[in-house]
Amino acid sequence: MSQAASHSPVRSALQGVREAIPLLGGYIPVALSFGLVATQAGFSTLEATAISALIYAGASQFLFVGMIATGAPLWLVVAMTLLINVRHVVYGPNLAGLLPRSRHWPWLMHGLTDQVFALALTRLPQLPEVKRFSWFLGASLLAWGAWIIGTAVGATAGEAFTARWPLLGEIMPFALPALFLTMVAPRFTDKRWAVAMGCTILAALCLTLVGWGNVAIPLAAACGALCFYSTQFYTQRFATNRRRES
Amino acid sequence: MSTALWIAVAVSAIGTLLMRVVPFLWMQRRLNSESGLNNMPQWLGILGPLMIAAVLGVSIVPVNPSAVSWIATAIGLSVTLLVWSRVRSLGWPVAAGVAVFGIVEVAAFIW
Repeated sequence: MSQAASHSPVRSALQGVREAIPLLGGYIPVALSFGLVATQAGFSTLEATAISALIYAGASQFLFVGMIATGAPLWLVVAMTLLINVRHVVYGPNLAGLLPRSRHWPWLMHGLTDQVFALALTRLPQLPEVKRFSWFLGASLLAWGAWIIGTAVGATAGEAFTARWPLLGEIMPFALPALFLTMVAPRFTDKRWAVAMGCTILAALCLTLVGWGNVAIPLAAACGALCFYSTQFYTQRFATNRRRES
Repeated sequence: MSTALWIAVAVSAIGTLLMRVVPFLWMQRRLNSESGLNNMPQWLGILGPLMIAAVLGVSIVPVNPSAVSWIATAIGLSVTLLVWSRVRSLGWPVAAGVAVFGIVEVAAFIW
């Protein structure tokens, strides 16, 4: 039986759902916090949930409600929100060769967050081509649904929830670094990748610690790319010098 | 929420969606074109994994940074890496890392 004939879209979607479950450890606490912060900033539960469903980009949503609460002009709020989300422009092209063509992408790409991108870029190459569309659908819908429900719960009962289980909000987000570590670990077998990855992780960590969390991802990745190309350049020059000496 | 605020939400949402969709569709068209531009630029292929590393760097910072949470993070990541080196999958290393991180945090909270 061919691969396409034995393929079940529902089973592939459920595989996507199952593999995206670790993302929830990071999504739910942040969504709860967003719901809480948004209601404290004067938004209703419905409005906070609508922002999560429509914008669906964590850091920029916090900035959005924070700037609105301080009375910033709306054009500046929109400009800053979009500026933070500019990093998303490099995610799509990286997945373009891994996903089949479909008329559904214009709305499905709404689910392409930092975490879904990281998971998809790691898992899609390991899956048969026929499974990839359904897998992406399952993984991204689970993440989106959890984000929306988490926001609604945070807006209605966030304060009571965090008061009752204060440690849960600290422990659950650890699923994210643990998941991303398992994604980058295979690259550490190559020296040049190891240097570039190490440089990127360190840069992102430092930028977040000094309060530049909003721009840490693109800046750190740029640092890593610089490191990657410098190492290549250095290796080539070293090899040329050795050839000349011998 | 006023009409102006709803418009701001809508513009932010549409702008973010376009940043996700347009480059994806552009690259898919480019990869399937007959103009000879069939390969993804090398720099883009390098930037992808580095973006994941950057997301890792950002997420390493604990929710409430303190000596205990940093130690718990270091132990949790070490356990994650150890389990990953044995099983080479995504699920178990994450579960083990979160469990150990949680045990360290709870133990420190109790003491």
